[in-house]
Amino acid sequence: MHEISVALEIIDTLEDNGYLTGVNKVDSIKLIIGRYSGIDKNYLSFAFQNINDERFKEVSLEFISNNSDEIKIEEIIVD
Amino acid sequence: MPNSNGINRGSSGRGGAGTGIGAFGSGGGKHSGRTGTGGRSLTVRLNALESNEIIAKKNKALFGKAFVMNFLSSPGSGKTSLLESVVPVLKSEGLNIAVIEGDVETDLDKRRIDALNIPAYQIITNGTCHLDANMVNTSLNNLNINDADVIFIENVGNLVCPTSYNLGEDMKAVVLSVTEGDDKPLKYPAAFYKSKVMIINKTDLLPVLDSDVSKIKENALSINKELVIFETSCKRKINAEVGQVRVSDDTDDNTVRQEVIDKGILDFASFIKEKTRLKAAEFKGIGGGIYL
Repeated sequence: MHEISVALEIIDTLEDNGYLTGVNKVDSIKLIIGRYSGIDKNYLSFAFQNINDERFKEVSLEFISNNSDEIKIEEIIVD
Repeated sequence: MPNSNGINRGSSGRGGAGTGIGAFGSGGGKHSGRTGTGGRSLTVRLNALESNEIIAKKNKALFGKAFVMNFLSSPGSGKTSLLESVVPVLKSEGLNIAVIEGDVETDLDKRRIDALNIPAYQIITNGTCHLDANMVNTSLNNLNINDADVIFIENVGNLVCPTSYNLGEDMKAVVLSVTEGDDKPLKYPAAFYKSKVMIINKTDLLPVLDSDVSKIKENALSINKELVIFETSCKRKINAEVGQVRVSDDTDDNTVRQEVIDKGILDFASFIKEKTRLKAAEFKGIGGGIYL
């Protein structure tokens, strides 16, 4: 179940690019998950619920599917 | 307060990997607005695995002129056996080979590669179902690849998880044994979509199976019509009219054994040799050669 690693990578990417500076809570993340990305969307949601990071404890994931192998963060909604 | 039942970052987790990337790096940009519920909407538009991609690019630079192939497959498809078959052929052509092995537990595969007298390093993931760029980057501290023309990365046996991660390789190759079912490419499309090569292995078993190689190919090509396909057997030592004879001393019984290498193995080795030549030429062309 590599979705846990992917969830951690998503947090790293947001953190490294300054999107989480001063953020207490992330309400939702809109992701593009391609058909050939190898990602199970249900497992990814499960992974976020179980990561030791209070900011993401109640995050909801919104998925946009396409016929690529993309795993892309489109938008986040924060408090 | 941390969730006591939650998942902590393991050894492969990264922190601060994004060195050199500014707040608006990789094409992303922050545009914010208020949502109806009072939250702030931030436009991100970034590769979700950006931190892995950054390390993968570092790996690619470290690999230098070497052609790097990342093997994906289910457990037991014959990845290590394939290496045991193809490495001696490439060595006999004068190529220097190195291997990075990935497994959840044990260094059993590395020990098999050690018998080929080439540099090898075993990554033990301790439960993680795939290799990521950081694991490979760390392995390069312990593996001499200075002279390598070809580097093989044998990923953890798993046809799903390893597909998501770029390790800095030149290409992914998916190995499928004929025992796995003709419909495997349709059931696990990501590995076939992302690979440039498919190796249909264990073809020596075809006489006792219902497998249909043409159906495997048809299904795989329906996912990725660009796939280059090889049919291999690591056990078959026949087909003398097309294969290459390798004579070796058998020290156990002092007999001289003639082995005829499977034609599919030879074709696969030729493919790797050509890709290695092209990679070296490309590397030299972009100025990498001045560092050799």
